[in-house]
Amino acid sequence: MSAKAFSKLLSTIIEHNRDVLNDEWTSHVMETMGAKYPGILNRDEIHRHADTYITELSAYFKDWNEESSAIQAGSRLGVVVSELSGDHAKRGIRPMDTALYVVAVKRTITKKLITTLSDSPDQLNGCVDVLGVLLDQLTLLTFDSYTTAREKVITQQSQSLLELSTPVILLWNNVLLLPLVGVIDTIRARQFTERMLEAITRHEGIVTIIDVTGVPVFDTGVARHIMKAVDAAQLLGSKIVMTGISPEGAQTLTKLNISFSNVISRVSLRAGVAEALKMVGRRIETINGAAQQ
Amino acid sequence: MRVPIIRLGRILLISIQTDLTDNDALCLQSDLIKKISDTEAQGVAIDITALDVVDSYMARIINDTVCMAQLLGADVVISGVQPFVALSMVEMGSDLIRAECVFNLEQAMKRLEIRMSTRGDICLKRDNYVQ
Repeated sequence: MSAKAFSKLLSTIIEHNRDVLNDEWTSHVMETMGAKYPGILNRDEIHRHADTYITELSAYFKDWNEESSAIQAGSRLGVVVSELSGDHAKRGIRPMDTALYVVAVKRTITKKLITTLSDSPDQLNGCVDVLGVLLDQLTLLTFDSYTTAREKVITQQSQSLLELSTPVILLWNNVLLLPLVGVIDTIRARQFTERMLEAITRHEGIVTIIDVTGVPVFDTGVARHIMKAVDAAQLLGSKIVMTGISPEGAQTLTKLNISFSNVISRVSLRAGVAEALKMVGRRIETINGAAQQ
Repeated sequence: MRVPIIRLGRILLISIQTDLTDNDALCLQSDLIKKISDTEAQGVAIDITALDVVDSYMARIINDTVCMAQLLGADVVISGVQPFVALSMVEMGSDLIRAECVFNLEQAMKRLEIRMSTRGDICLKRDNYVQ
């Protein structure tokens, strides 16, 4: 018998036993993974997945021929599997478990084949072989789509992080505040510098406060980026107040021989704000007689 | 020996009474910057009247401390540099101590008061004392 004939046979067997296979697969998946992901996986959903998956499997084997045997991401079975693993990636199910989820069907079908074809070992061998080849491809496809989906999520996240990361706040007339949070890399540095310079020109920022309380590591790279921003702002005519350098940060900067000698540095943001306000001729005062709890 | 750091309002006062080992000096440096950051001190007075010898390492540590303190927004004044110390400093390289130096502690405090009075964040601490 040829591989094509085995495929046809396999398709018929799957089609005949689809309900049994579906139930067995669902139970198997629930048993092995249900406890690991409580609230994420539920029986109905797996059942629905299993239904489409098994239908497509049987359709695939029915139309099987040498040329079309390679699974493409665009084929119907391919789409079902890659959607499934993409979905899993977004929900935080581990790649190993996703592969297990897809491969579990091999076990269920093989079991069924053994009971059905127990009296013709040749046919059994052929069918298992065809099934094995397909499942190997599906596993690779699962892995591939899982990674792609994960990467997409990561790209989206870093994009959104970039967008919300560096606001320039108009703190008072002619006083701007630039709170830096998180790791400063070249892209972010350029972005906040651009925004800061633009804001300085738009609001005529006489003083700009750069707050680095939220910057976890202060190394040469970060210092250089901030230094460039400071120089550019000073060229526009804005004075710079740096705030929120940690003791460790100060130690590192000094060891690197960076002194920020052309800026005023204050330990806390409030001190920096007071300093900046003084530069524009204002100060914060206590109101006599106002309620103080 | 751990050098005590005394807080006088907005000023931190350090008086070095004996020769420090390299380790003690480093320890003092990290203690001081931590204290500046905790108390938001605006001035630091370092009195080295009792030091007869300041080697290049000690001078460097003093210099680094001054830089760090400035990054944390505190002005530093050094008082009581002995003639012999001053001479050896100049021999070693004149910019070894970049901070302002005065005769004695009293002048250091006056100097700091003057410098702090020009600062914008002086009102902060005043508010704190009212409470």
